[in-house]
Amino acid sequence: MVDITKLRDIAKEVISRDDVRQVIGYRPGTYGFRARPAFVLEPADADELIFSPACINNLATYIVIEEKLPVPRGQEPDSRKVAVMVKGCDSRAIIQQLEEKAYDRDHVLVLGIPCEGVVDMDKVNARFPNVDKGDIALEGDKFVISFNGTKEEVAKDELLADKCKRCRYPTPLVSDEMLGDEVERFADDDFSDVEVLEKKSRDEKWAYWEEKFSRCARCYACRNACPMCYCEDCVLTRLEPMWMRRSVDISENTAYHIARAYHLAGRCIQCGACEQACPMDIPLMDLNRKFYKDVRELFDYEPGTDAEQPPLLSTFSVDDREDFIL
Amino acid sequence: MNGKPRIGVYVCHCGTNIAGTVDVEEVVRFAQTIPDVTVARNYSYMCSDPGQALIVDDIEKMGLNRVVVASCSPRMHELTFRKTLNGAGLNPYFLEMANIREQCSWVHEDSIAATEKSKRIIEAAVVKARRLEALDQKEVDVEPATLIIGAGIAGIQAALDIADAGFKVYLVEKSPTVGGHMAQLDKTFPTLDCSACILTPKMVDVANHPNIELMTYSKVEDISGYVGNFDIKVRKKTRYVDVSKCTGCGDCASACRQAGRFANEFDEGMGMRGAIYLPFPQAVPAKYTVDKESCLFLSKGKCGETPKCLEACQPKAINFELEDEIVDFKVGTIIVATGFDVFDATLKPEYAYGVYDNVVTALEFERMVNASGPTGGKVVMLERGKKKKKKKEGEEEEAPKVPESVTFIQCVGSRDKSVGNEYCSRVCCMYTAKLAHLVRDKAPDAEVTVFYMDVRAFGKGFEEFYDRVRREGVRYIRGNPSEIYRKNGKLIVRAEDTLTSTPLEHETDMVVLSVGLCPRTDTRDVIDLLKLSQSSDLFYLEAHPKLRPVDTASDGVYLAGVCQGPKDIPDAVAQAKGAASAAMIPMASGKVKVEAQTSIVDETTCRGCGFCVEVCPYTAIELVEINRMGWHVKAARVNEALCKGCGACAAACLSGSIQQRSFKDLQLLPQIQALGVK
Repeated sequence: MVDITKLRDIAKEVISRDDVRQVIGYRPGTYGFRARPAFVLEPADADELIFSPACINNLATYIVIEEKLPVPRGQEPDSRKVAVMVKGCDSRAIIQQLEEKAYDRDHVLVLGIPCEGVVDMDKVNARFPNVDKGDIALEGDKFVISFNGTKEEVAKDELLADKCKRCRYPTPLVSDEMLGDEVERFADDDFSDVEVLEKKSRDEKWAYWEEKFSRCARCYACRNACPMCYCEDCVLTRLEPMWMRRSVDISENTAYHIARAYHLAGRCIQCGACEQACPMDIPLMDLNRKFYKDVRELFDYEPGTDAEQPPLLSTFSVDDREDFIL
Repeated sequence: MNGKPRIGVYVCHCGTNIAGTVDVEEVVRFAQTIPDVTVARNYSYMCSDPGQALIVDDIEKMGLNRVVVASCSPRMHELTFRKTLNGAGLNPYFLEMANIREQCSWVHEDSIAATEKSKRIIEAAVVKARRLEALDQKEVDVEPATLIIGAGIAGIQAALDIADAGFKVYLVEKSPTVGGHMAQLDKTFPTLDCSACILTPKMVDVANHPNIELMTYSKVEDISGYVGNFDIKVRKKTRYVDVSKCTGCGDCASACRQAGRFANEFDEGMGMRGAIYLPFPQAVPAKYTVDKESCLFLSKGKCGETPKCLEACQPKAINFELEDEIVDFKVGTIIVATGFDVFDATLKPEYAYGVYDNVVTALEFERMVNASGPTGGKVVMLERGKKKKKKKEGEEEEAPKVPESVTFIQCVGSRDKSVGNEYCSRVCCMYTAKLAHLVRDKAPDAEVTVFYMDVRAFGKGFEEFYDRVRREGVRYIRGNPSEIYRKNGKLIVRAEDTLTSTPLEHETDMVVLSVGLCPRTDTRDVIDLLKLSQSSDLFYLEAHPKLRPVDTASDGVYLAGVCQGPKDIPDAVAQAKGAASAAMIPMASGKVKVEAQTSIVDETTCRGCGFCVEVCPYTAIELVEINRMGWHVKAARVNEALCKGCGACAAACLSGSIQQRSFKDLQLLPQIQALGVK
């Protein structure tokens, strides 16, 4: 696990550098077990940084969604680096962003966190409801949950997030400084969850998704949390041309979710930020994972693993499968 | 365009092609009710002169500012009607085609449903037409030069025609000599002209023509640019011989330590050559070439004390220090004349080619009957792979045996799904007849048999020639042999005479496989250079099978000869002349119009990911740094001269920031909506 003192020391050292504008990390949340993003601008801010299994957010998102306010005439934009703490899965978002030229490699300073898994906050809240303030730590193969002066141990498997159960890259694939020792891969991905859905009939699939999509409130939290969704002007909410109306109904919701999933085909790095952000419990990763599986099987391509490779959908090979063309 | 849209809708009957299925009167009545439609008419053939006159008349008298033609595919007549609009003083891009033929009448039988569908298609077109914008078609200057790739008979003929017309030609040939496959042939069917006699003067002409820059033993490495302005990079491979000094005397070849050790490619391996060689005596240019792989000095680093060729060469032309040379130049048009490979007969193992010495391909046999070939034109039995015994003093060389029976098998690798070639190679029937005739001529006592599926004697003088050969005693048996094996020193061809339904075993000394013509194995290289398409037979695809047979989908790139599909010499020459005149059109006019339906980038929303740059097949897009509210960000920029308006970028763009003119989201979306559920 990561040594918090070391983490804070490094963050202090980094934010003291002249060429670093801010450090993005985690700090304790204001309620329940949650942790929240921290934007460290001064060395003193680094004292509240933490890392725990509650640090579920993908901070790579903040690199790309930061608003670029107009620079007054005669001034130059602040081009100092952004330092960001990333888990293994989050680091893949940075690689994919680099693949897509979202920024130059020297724009970011990556602080890698080798990660042994984070919790699924829904599972935690179900097990320990109505907790005002609590902490989660990982000790061996158990999560230690402490609140109101009590401590409880729960088997890791019971609270671990699903995405961690199939994580192939626990140690960040890109980093300038590693904040802990490398974590060996403790899981693998056999896509059995996707196969369950694939086996459903067309009608069953539609019934499944109709129920899920009809819940959608179109809050766009999934889009906003996604490290790969960072267009200046999202086509899905553009007024002209209006690809989908803003009304919340099954037809428009379905169109929104299909378009969102398609825009992530060959780009989704499986961090699960969208599903985690969804207030309506829509299993967005079901769609993303189907694309992810297809992309892997059809093109032997895994997004966010190699910054040098061109993005999948911008490449063409004459050997590409075309048996889907009638 | 000023004011409200005033749209004219013109519904074509296309004879009965459309009107036979679609109720055009009803469609017109409907079209008149669509908002902004000023007039709707129908006519038997809109593309005809009176049909077009209807449109011109309405534009002039009714002040139309948009035109929808409901007829065939825009691939067929969009250009026709754009010209009509232009002639009437309306911007040609105010035209929208509604395809109610290919996408409706041709594919439906139910007249009522087809009529309803036509209405939808037309309404969608009207909705799009409302949002069309005037586009400017820019002109660019054309470089008055042509690149011709391949110097077989097609490339040679095209080069001579263009050069004679006064334009510069760069003729690039991969092998050390021009001439291609035709140079390998002895006689040509059906007239029995000597191939060399009619070809070699042209070969000499291309080498001497002041307007032709001949580059043999060279390869086109890179092509960029667009019609009128292609940038070409050619690698001239070194021959290790200074061609300005080489006199072609041949002293080097006789001196070479490796003389006679390697199969000569020109003789299809029937004759031998050394490491330094001239493919054949009439080769153009008559300059020797050192084959790097077989030269001892170049491959092993040592050839005796000094290479013998160096000593033998009087003008001191051989220089092992020479290196490849890269040449860059500009052309306006390109002709691809890369020819073919003959079918690889080992892919038909039942014919035992490569197993038995005397199963030969027709091209090998062609070299044998050629007077300047390895056997001096004699038809003899072969002992391949057997080392010649050293002649003892005074011993006479044993004369090679003349076959008593020669058997031809047609359609080897053609019209054969089992090897993936469904097409007819178009020359094998006649060259088989010609070779059969030559056997009659050169080995009069030999029995000659031809196994065939059909004899396709379709060209001028072909049937007469086929008849003549049969009258000369060549026996034709209709049947496709199933196997060749050897028994008692003879080859046995097992077949069925399908005319009498009799199985037979035919005994013979020599089998000639009439191999078909195949796309070259390096076809892919040219495709990568020029973005050509292939038809299902894998030959290069012409722009239109009937009306644009020498053009390709890429403007300024033309096809000549067998690279486009199997053809005989007169057809290859005719196509070469066609390609030459097609290539000269833009050069003669000096200007060429470039695509107007190009892409444009909205730099305020472009996120600079470069997907469009990667997918653009014409390298028309680049990422540039722009200033966006004081920030230095990357954004895509389109070079409109290079853009062909394929739309790949628009499809790839996630933020919808790159749009293709006339196919913008704002134009397409309402069109799709109009087609949707009402």
